[in-house]
Amino acid sequence: MKFASLVLKSARRSKRRTALTMMSVAVAVFLFASLRAILDGFDAVSAASSATRLVTIRSTSMIFSMPRSHGEAIRATPGVRDITWANWFGGIYKDPKNFFGQFAVDPESYLRMYPEIVLSPEEKTAFIEDRTGCIVGDGIAKKYGWKLGDQIVLQPGIPVYGSQDFPFTIRGIYHAGSSAVDNQSMMFQWKYADERSIQKGEIGWIVSQVADPARAVQVAHAIDQQFANSPNETKTDTEQAFSAQFASMLGNLNVLLGSVALAVVITTLFVAGNTMAMSVRERTTEIAVMRTLGFPAATIFLLVVGEGIVVAGIGGLAGAAFARAIVNGETLGITGGFIPAFGVSNANFGVGFALSLLLGVLAAVIPASMASRLKIVDALRRVA
Amino acid sequence: MGLIANYNLRSMVVRKGTAAMTAGGIAMVVAVFVMTMAIAQGFRGALVASGSNENAILLRKGATSETVSAVLKSQLPLIEAMPQVARGADGRPLASPELVVIISLPRNSDGNPANVPVRGVGPKAFEVRNTIRFVEGRRFSAGTREINVGRQAVNRFRGVTLGSDVKFGSAAWKVVGIFTADDASFESELWGDVDLMMPAFQRNGYQSTTLKLVEPSAFESLAAAVGGDPRLDLKAYPERDYYEGQSETTGTLMRIFATFVTAILSIGAVFGAMNTMYAAVAYRTREIGTLRALGFSRVRIIAAFLAESMALAFVGGVIGCILALPVHGISTGAMNMTSFSELAFKFRITPALLGAGLVFSVLMGAVGGLLPALRAARIPVARALREI
Repeated sequence: MKFASLVLKSARRSKRRTALTMMSVAVAVFLFASLRAILDGFDAVSAASSATRLVTIRSTSMIFSMPRSHGEAIRATPGVRDITWANWFGGIYKDPKNFFGQFAVDPESYLRMYPEIVLSPEEKTAFIEDRTGCIVGDGIAKKYGWKLGDQIVLQPGIPVYGSQDFPFTIRGIYHAGSSAVDNQSMMFQWKYADERSIQKGEIGWIVSQVADPARAVQVAHAIDQQFANSPNETKTDTEQAFSAQFASMLGNLNVLLGSVALAVVITTLFVAGNTMAMSVRERTTEIAVMRTLGFPAATIFLLVVGEGIVVAGIGGLAGAAFARAIVNGETLGITGGFIPAFGVSNANFGVGFALSLLLGVLAAVIPASMASRLKIVDALRRVA
Repeated sequence: MGLIANYNLRSMVVRKGTAAMTAGGIAMVVAVFVMTMAIAQGFRGALVASGSNENAILLRKGATSETVSAVLKSQLPLIEAMPQVARGADGRPLASPELVVIISLPRNSDGNPANVPVRGVGPKAFEVRNTIRFVEGRRFSAGTREINVGRQAVNRFRGVTLGSDVKFGSAAWKVVGIFTADDASFESELWGDVDLMMPAFQRNGYQSTTLKLVEPSAFESLAAAVGGDPRLDLKAYPERDYYEGQSETTGTLMRIFATFVTAILSIGAVFGAMNTMYAAVAYRTREIGTLRALGFSRVRIIAAFLAESMALAFVGGVIGCILALPVHGISTGAMNMTSFSELAFKFRITPALLGAGLVFSVLMGAVGGLLPALRAARIPVARALREI
């Protein structure tokens, strides 16, 4: 600790250089923390997904529908406590670019199944009672400036729903109680869509609640067995497995973001290592003098490493703090679609900061060992 | 200029450690830029390659993609009778009515299910899409449950190799041939007879019709004829435009990601270059003083240091391009958000992309070198010469 002021002094020796190095570390940590935050956003969805909810889709693919009678058959399966169903609507709000999830649902059972969709009791009743009513997440409500009672019109995007526009009245604005549901979707009455559908009584997927999570896999298997060899074979998974698979469809994010993060670290190492080497080279004579005065080589080594840690650490703090301030879906304007809500958490902040310390150590190791192994006689003879 | 260029070049060699580190930082940035952009380009390239200038695709009015389009069976003869449609050797019109559905197949790499497009095509499909080549087996025979699989799909998904039975649409389909299509998106698809696919997927119409034009210029009159016929609720698109449009949503997202990452990364590298150049200027104060005393103007000094920084960055850029090159041609996949299915494609590094990478590196050098160069020019001659 008694060397702290010495370390700070040497860091301040060339203010511009130190500032530039700090900023490059800050940039690296900023990028790293942001990428981690986005990745965590995806992971949070599968982590918060329930292990007691099962999702049943057609085994061919989720774009195919199944008859509503499947729902009743699933309800009768031992171990199933409750069921609900939904359809993908895929409508267009004003412009095809305004993409958000729209689900035709059975209101009562859907809200019972997803307590994470938080609505006031009045909103809930109003939604259930209005055939053309809908509820929207507070995220998209804010994005499009929607208020309770507003009329919104969707143009059907899938041929089964014909070509006539669908008007809706907003009866509720929900907020998401956990990452298992997003606040970027719209739900409305399945009956309303079904009336106009070319294929009546068809549902996209069924969600069922199992009484005992430990038996979820057996129940899922029992459900699929009922429909085996029928024209509408099904595939049932826990919601957790389902959302993990869905995320994996977006591509191998872990590998992609991981390799970018690696590139960031290497680039910063080049930059920071270079600066540390420069600053050590500049001080060759001083270091030789210190060694002559009796400072052991180990102390010199630690002094240089300490400088690296201080410079990189301050940069890292700044970068992580900046990321925390601006990196979230709302500030960056990337919400909706398949991108979950994200933001820089304490853990992302901590990992980013730890990374900067590591960068500082790594960048300083070679210059520090150079400094500590300096031959005093040679160094003193040298004219800087 | 000769002397000063030589001087800067040699000073770079003298400081090889520092110079190498700076170039290394820039090389990493350029490598990341080229690789991430190669993903976006490969993705777009696969879809653009699917469209041909000689073809037109007909979709329901207002439909933005095949999956949300519909073409009635009764409309097909009307389309085929149009004079703009080319004819095959047998005199039959070269038009392929098609249906695309998505099935779920486990991926080879991790066993997770992925959405794979299955395309039902008409008997003339292989003449309409003349880039299709069979690498194994043969075409499916019309009226049988035989399918052909694209080469990328064979590599990427489980259980679709030659001779295997693929189960979908409550039937088993035998793979009898594997095809390539000049890296187009069709290589990620499974193709079979549209007339058998329709009942299998409980559809009673097609989704689109792709046809070969008698000549590319016939498109205008075809579009007018299709638009003017009240029995056809359809719109004609040049096939290339259509597929290019399909790449837009996901392609743009990929480009935004690439730009975001490289922009931020380049800031770090520019700071690094700045540090190096400031140090270079500081070490050489006396030399700069000498040059100025010899009569070299401030502008020449600025130009010299800028050039040095840009040259250093350029070397980094070249290294970065070389580092990125090995990914060219590697297959990868991503979900196309427009069709909701997985598209396999190859990283594509084009000369233009490499050129952009090099320009980018020189730009980083210029930005990083500007302030230090100005500083060099502002050094008072008398004081610089006095410095040891």
